[in-house]
Amino acid sequence: MIIAERKPIAEIKQLIAPYKKVLVAGCGTCVTVCWAGGEKEVAMLASQLRLARNAEGSEISVLETTVERQCEREMVAEIKDKVAEVEAVLSLACGSGVQTMAEMFEDKPVLPAVNTTFIGMPEKEGLWVEMCGACGDCFLDRTGGICPIVRCAKGLLNGPCGGTRRGGKCEIDPEKDCAWVLIYRRLEKQGRLDLMRNYYPPKNYRAVKRPGKVQAVKA
Amino acid sequence: MESKIGVFLCNCGGVINNIDFDAAVKRVTKFPSVTYVNLSSNLCLEEGKEKMISCIREENIERVVVAACSPEFNEHIFREVLEKAGLNGHFLSMANIREQCSWAHDGDVTMKAVELVKMAINRVRLLQPIEKKELPVSREVLVVGGGFTAISTALQLSRVGLRTTLLEKEAVLGTRAEELESFYGFDTSAMISTVEGDENVEVLTSAEMTEVVGKIGDFSVRIRKGEEEIFRKYGAIILATGYQTELALAPEPRLRTEEEAIYGINIVSQEQFCSMLRNSSLETEPKTIGFMFDFSDGNSRFPTLATLNNALAAKKKWGSEIYVFYKSVKVDSEGMEKLYQEARNCGVVFIKSDITPRITGESGRVTIEAKDVFLGEDIMVACDVLVAEELYLPGEGTEKLSSLLNIRVDSRSFYQDANVHLYPVTSEKKGIFLIGECRGDLDLRRVLTDISSVVMNVHGLLSLGKILVESERVKADPQKCVACLTCIRVCPHDAIQLVRVDGSKEVAGISDPACYACGICAAICPAKAIKFQGYRDEEILAQIEAIGESLKGRNVAFCCEHSAYPAADLAGKLRIHYPETLRILRVPCAGQVDVYHILKAFEKGATAVLVLGCEEGACHHITGNTRAKERVEYCNILLKEANVDGRRAAMFNLSPNAPHKFVRVVNEMDKKVKESGR
Repeated sequence: MIIAERKPIAEIKQLIAPYKKVLVAGCGTCVTVCWAGGEKEVAMLASQLRLARNAEGSEISVLETTVERQCEREMVAEIKDKVAEVEAVLSLACGSGVQTMAEMFEDKPVLPAVNTTFIGMPEKEGLWVEMCGACGDCFLDRTGGICPIVRCAKGLLNGPCGGTRRGGKCEIDPEKDCAWVLIYRRLEKQGRLDLMRNYYPPKNYRAVKRPGKVQAVKA
Repeated sequence: MESKIGVFLCNCGGVINNIDFDAAVKRVTKFPSVTYVNLSSNLCLEEGKEKMISCIREENIERVVVAACSPEFNEHIFREVLEKAGLNGHFLSMANIREQCSWAHDGDVTMKAVELVKMAINRVRLLQPIEKKELPVSREVLVVGGGFTAISTALQLSRVGLRTTLLEKEAVLGTRAEELESFYGFDTSAMISTVEGDENVEVLTSAEMTEVVGKIGDFSVRIRKGEEEIFRKYGAIILATGYQTELALAPEPRLRTEEEAIYGINIVSQEQFCSMLRNSSLETEPKTIGFMFDFSDGNSRFPTLATLNNALAAKKKWGSEIYVFYKSVKVDSEGMEKLYQEARNCGVVFIKSDITPRITGESGRVTIEAKDVFLGEDIMVACDVLVAEELYLPGEGTEKLSSLLNIRVDSRSFYQDANVHLYPVTSEKKGIFLIGECRGDLDLRRVLTDISSVVMNVHGLLSLGKILVESERVKADPQKCVACLTCIRVCPHDAIQLVRVDGSKEVAGISDPACYACGICAAICPAKAIKFQGYRDEEILAQIEAIGESLKGRNVAFCCEHSAYPAADLAGKLRIHYPETLRILRVPCAGQVDVYHILKAFEKGATAVLVLGCEEGACHHITGNTRAKERVEYCNILLKEANVDGRRAAMFNLSPNAPHKFVRVVNEMDKKVKESGR
């Protein structure tokens, strides 16, 4: 799932400073799950903006809406009447959602209110961790299902480095696990430690052709 | 079309004397959708209730507002009135114009009363009906444990006609029962054979629970007994897993054989000492015996009992010299004081010491050195046997069982914290009960109370084979739920799980019988999918809206109905006055208060917002008050970010019997607001 984080309010206030009427648009998929841009965050941000504007003595009218998936043109089209009412849209979706909105409403500024951070999973209530770098050339078969590209601070394909701390922690951040220690333990459990002997040449990041495109095989 | 709203005002036999009811009636009549307004002086008496029923029927009233005393007293009575009049009992909203208006302030409070009625009217028009439904429950009960407590419970449940499975991990029942036999004179072997012969009790020994799914009335339990796997359904689960003891003295090198102080030989546990007492062919009878307790663990009710009993028995049997070293003697259990006196009278010597005595071995004897607090002198006693201090610990496997059932343990790893809002034998999960020693240092009398209490609870719950529950009071809208699992992770009562709707989409399913309706899930749902009837956003905001233009200068307090709300009522009753500007919203738990609600109150112009919940560690819903605290802090960050002119929310913990604290925090808030000139 895509994880995002709300931008600091000061930045958001600056983004919408020129406008008197804005639509705060949430997305009902990934960013709802990671508490960054669902209906509730929309309601709270809208309320906060009204309070901020009132405090500064300037007028603002803030509308609220949440699209089921902002990265779908058809779903974004459903809010066109609301968008027509405002001067700018403040989107709480990931970068993909913001761009879909921007493309659908080319005459309106669509401004991002969150920073899209990574693809990850919840570790516990309210805490998400990065799991996948969307590199386009998956390596997980060789590492016991643990991605060293994003979970190793150095993104090493041949680890661990010499800096692993006691207790299997990372030298960059003693709070974080060394991905290669995790990989070793996992492979050990599976009786596949021989994989650790393999040397992997530098990864061909050109597999990620920018901008990426995935064409499903037509049924 | 708008529902017809009837407003029933009551002056409570004339005790509400600072409200001009005629003026209030005139004002209330003008509110939209209000089709009927009545003033009574005895709404809660039979006469008043009958009048209310006939009014509702004759005037075709669809929603009812009662402006009278606190809902804490009479809400359920008025719900019944509505039901008798043919309305859903939940189409009721109460305005507390007595405790939190008339009695709380000096002088004429008509305007405030009218505003409270308006808040109730705004809320009542949005309320949705809550239906009741019957659910089947299994009449089988699982009792985990095989000791005195578990066996007694199974026998008593059998007597009231409920079938029980007794699940014991050891090969036989009653492994610790001998202690009870010597202390209390119970014939435990007779009990064991009775339970084994009881046709309502299935005894499974050498067996343990491996998986539990489901909710109250319908637990599915997987049990492993050797190679065999047994799968059963139970309506309730009772944990009676008891305790275990461990010698408090850590074996130290200086106590090894060469100095002849040996664990199990001349340093023994209470249990080993019991078997020495029973042994008629003991080679040499101990002439001097030492006992120790209460040095390492202050929870020494049971060790004290064991010491006193064993000391007396040894005195009677062998006439030995007995020295008891202690820090303090806990004699708060029934009969303990008498036992202590008896021991003293028999010549048992009690030596109080503030520090743990030093133990050494010398020529086959154990030397105990301590400083007597009363004599102020060092004392040294050489004993043939030392009955060492024992630590009193939760039964083996408690940790495993608690994680299997998702039940919390306290700081000493016994089940259940000392939380005033939980009844002694109930856990935070409905249908799971905790009794006896597994709850910590209990004596026999308390254990017997636990047993009767759990039998009554379980009988009331399961005897009819069905329970009546409110249907979908808290519900996740399947259209809006994104299955983010947040609610499942935060529910303190384990009442939510993923369910499939329409055979495909997975959404949060809130179990009606397991739900305590605290609203913690509704306040955190990022998709705003969870609706808690009576406390939905609309209903909360409508009340805030009612304070309306006049909200300027008003302070809003969200008060938990378990603590702050009754505390506010009590302040009224005691006529401890607080500013009239306060508007109280009653919530089921401080954890139900959403950051959004607080922001909205500020947006509407509130000068201050208070969230008042139970004392720390005493939340009815375990985490509600701590979540409320975090949310208020977060809310203040948002307000600061928005540059809101110094207005902040605040959270306080208080108990229901703390009217002075309630008034103090309200006054402090009011003072701050006034000082800042708003």
